[in-house]
Amino acid sequence: MKLLAKYNRVNIPITIGILLISSVAYYFILHYVLVHQLDKDLTIEQEEIFHHIGETGSLPEASDYRDQRISFAPVKEVDFKSKFSTEDSFDKMEGEVETFRRLDFPVNVKGHLYLATVKKSQQETEDLIRLILTITLSVIAFLLVLLFIANRVLLGKLWRPFNNTLDQLKRFNVSSKNKMHLQATDIDEFAQLNLTAVSMTEKVKNDYESLKSFTENASHEIQTPLAIIKTKIELLSQSENLDETQMNALQSLNEAATRLSKLNQALLLLTKIENSQFVQTEQVNLSSVMLCYVENLEELARTKNILITKHIKPDRFVEMNDSLAEILVSNVIINAIRHNRTNGNIEIDLDEKALTISNTGAEPSKPTSEFFERFRKGASSGDSLGLGLSIVKKICDRYNFPVSYNYADGIHSVKIEL
Amino acid sequence: MSESISAYLSAQDYSCEIAENFAAAIHKTEYNSYDCILLDIGLPDGNGLKILEQLKEDKKADGVLIISAKNSLDDKITGLNLGADDYLPKPFHLSELNARVAAIIRRKNFEGNSLIEVDELVIDTQKKSVYVNGNPLELTKKEFELLLYFVANKKRLISKDAIAEHLWGNDANGSFDFIYTHIKNLRKKLLDAGGHDYIKSVYGMGYKFAPQ
Repeated sequence: MKLLAKYNRVNIPITIGILLISSVAYYFILHYVLVHQLDKDLTIEQEEIFHHIGETGSLPEASDYRDQRISFAPVKEVDFKSKFSTEDSFDKMEGEVETFRRLDFPVNVKGHLYLATVKKSQQETEDLIRLILTITLSVIAFLLVLLFIANRVLLGKLWRPFNNTLDQLKRFNVSSKNKMHLQATDIDEFAQLNLTAVSMTEKVKNDYESLKSFTENASHEIQTPLAIIKTKIELLSQSENLDETQMNALQSLNEAATRLSKLNQALLLLTKIENSQFVQTEQVNLSSVMLCYVENLEELARTKNILITKHIKPDRFVEMNDSLAEILVSNVIINAIRHNRTNGNIEIDLDEKALTISNTGAEPSKPTSEFFERFRKGASSGDSLGLGLSIVKKICDRYNFPVSYNYADGIHSVKIEL
Repeated sequence: MSESISAYLSAQDYSCEIAENFAAAIHKTEYNSYDCILLDIGLPDGNGLKILEQLKEDKKADGVLIISAKNSLDDKITGLNLGADDYLPKPFHLSELNARVAAIIRRKNFEGNSLIEVDELVIDTQKKSVYVNGNPLELTKKEFELLLYFVANKKRLISKDAIAEHLWGNDANGSFDFIYTHIKNLRKKLLDAGGHDYIKSVYGMGYKFAPQ
C-alpha cells in the first residue's frame, strides 16, 4: 500500500467522523441560540402587552399575522408565570404545517384573569439553520476535497527525490560501470538516504569487482597448470614401453585432468555470463545457427541412432551476443542427444514465439525445475558435468527469455520463449 | 610447456626452435624464416601480437598459429585480423596442435597440391575425398575429419578426449561412447574398401594410426 493511501485510510474516516459529530453539535448549538433569540422576542412582546395593559387598562387587540399571533382567552386560574413551548400548527394561508414558538402567560385586566398567548413562527429560524448548515457543510466538503488534492500533489512532490532514488536503485546493476545520479534534495531524510545508497552501491560494486577478478584470475591460473598436466600426460603416453597398468593409470589421470579443465572452463563461462561480459549484441540469425549446429551434430546423434526432426522457421532473428547464441544452441542440442536413449527422437521447433527442443528419454528422478541448477544431473547422464542446462538458463536470464523444462509421457522438452 | 610442444612436434620429424621470450622471438623471426610459428600471446616481456605485426610489416610468409591462455574472442579476432593462420586457446591437446600445424604447413607449402598419401590411401584435403587404391571411399564429414586427424598424428597415441574435442569442439564434454562408434565405422569402411586396419586401440587410453 502506498504511503499516501495508508495515510488517507486513517485520515479520511477520522476527518469525516469529526465533521459529522461537530456538525450535529453545531446544529444543536445554532438551534439553541436561535430559539433563545426567538424567546427573547416573545418576552419583549409580553412586556409590550403588560405595558399596554398598564397604560390603557384593557387588553390589546388580538392579532393574527403570519409570523406573529397574539390571542387572549379568559381562564379561572393559572399556576405558572410564563411558559415557553414549541408547537406545530396548520397555516391556512400557506396551506402547510408550520412550527411555532409560543409563550403563554396570565394577564390580569380589572380583576379578570386571561391567558395570553404569543406565537411566533419558528419556520424562518428553521430555514435559517438549514441554510447556514448547508453552506457550512458544503464549504467544509469543498475544503476537504481541496485538501485531499493538495495533499496528493504536495506529497507527490515531496516524495519525488525518494521515488527518484528508488528508481535508480531498481535499475542498479553491479556489473555496469555507470554511477548513480541521484537528485539533490534539501530534505534531510532523503539526502541521508541518497548518501547511504551511493556509498552502499559503491561498496557493493567494489566487492563485486574484486570477487570477479578473483574468480577470473583463479580460473586462469588453474588453467595453466592443468594445461601442463594434460600435455605431460599426452607426451608420456607416447612412450613405447608402457604396460597396461601404467597406461590405465595415465588414462585415469587424463580423464580427471580433462574433467577438471572442462569444469573450470564451464564455470568460467558461467561467471562471464553472470558478469555480463558478453556485452555486444547483434541481430543473430538463430535459424541458421540452429541449422548449422544440427548439421554439425547430426552425426553425433546418429551414433545413438537418434532421429532429428526439425521445424525451423527461416530467418528468425534474435537480438543477442552471437557467441552466446552458439553456446545456447549447442548446449540444448547436445543435452537432447546426451540424455536421449538409443533409437530415440529429437524434435526441434523454432518459430516467432519460442524455441522448443524435445527429446525422448528416461523418466527424471528429480523435479524438472531442478535441472537448471548447477551440478544437478539426471540419473542417465553418466559423466556429464551437469552444467549444460545452467549455462542455458544463465544465457536465457541474461536476455530475459523465459525458459522451462517439462517432462511428460517419456518426452523431455526445453522451451525457450523468445 | 614449450618443451613439451617441441618434444611432440620433433617426434613428428619437424625441426623445432624455441624462443623463450619476446626479444628472442623478434630476433629469431627477423633472421630466419619458418614454415610455422607457434605464437604465445602472453609472453613474459611483451605482447605476442607485436611479433605478428612485425612479421606482416616485413612481408614474411611464415605461417602463424596463435596460442592464447585467454580464451577470449577479442584475442582471436585481433590475431586473425592481423594475419594469423589459426588460433588455438589453451589448454589444447598436442595432437590437436600437431594437426593444426600440419594443416598450416600444407596450405603454405603445397599450394595447389592438396593430396596426402599414406600407403594405399590418398586424401584430397581440398575436395575432402579419400581414395583407397585409387577407388573413392565414401566417408561422412566427421569420419573424414577423423581420418585426417589420425594421418596428421601418425604413429602417435591420440586420447579419446582429444578426438572428441577435435570432432565436436569444446561442447562435447563427457561421454566418449560415440568416439567408439565413429572409429568402428571408419575402420570398417577402410577395411571394406581394401585398406589395411590402420587404427589400433591402445588399452583404454585412445587410438593410434599406424601405417604399414
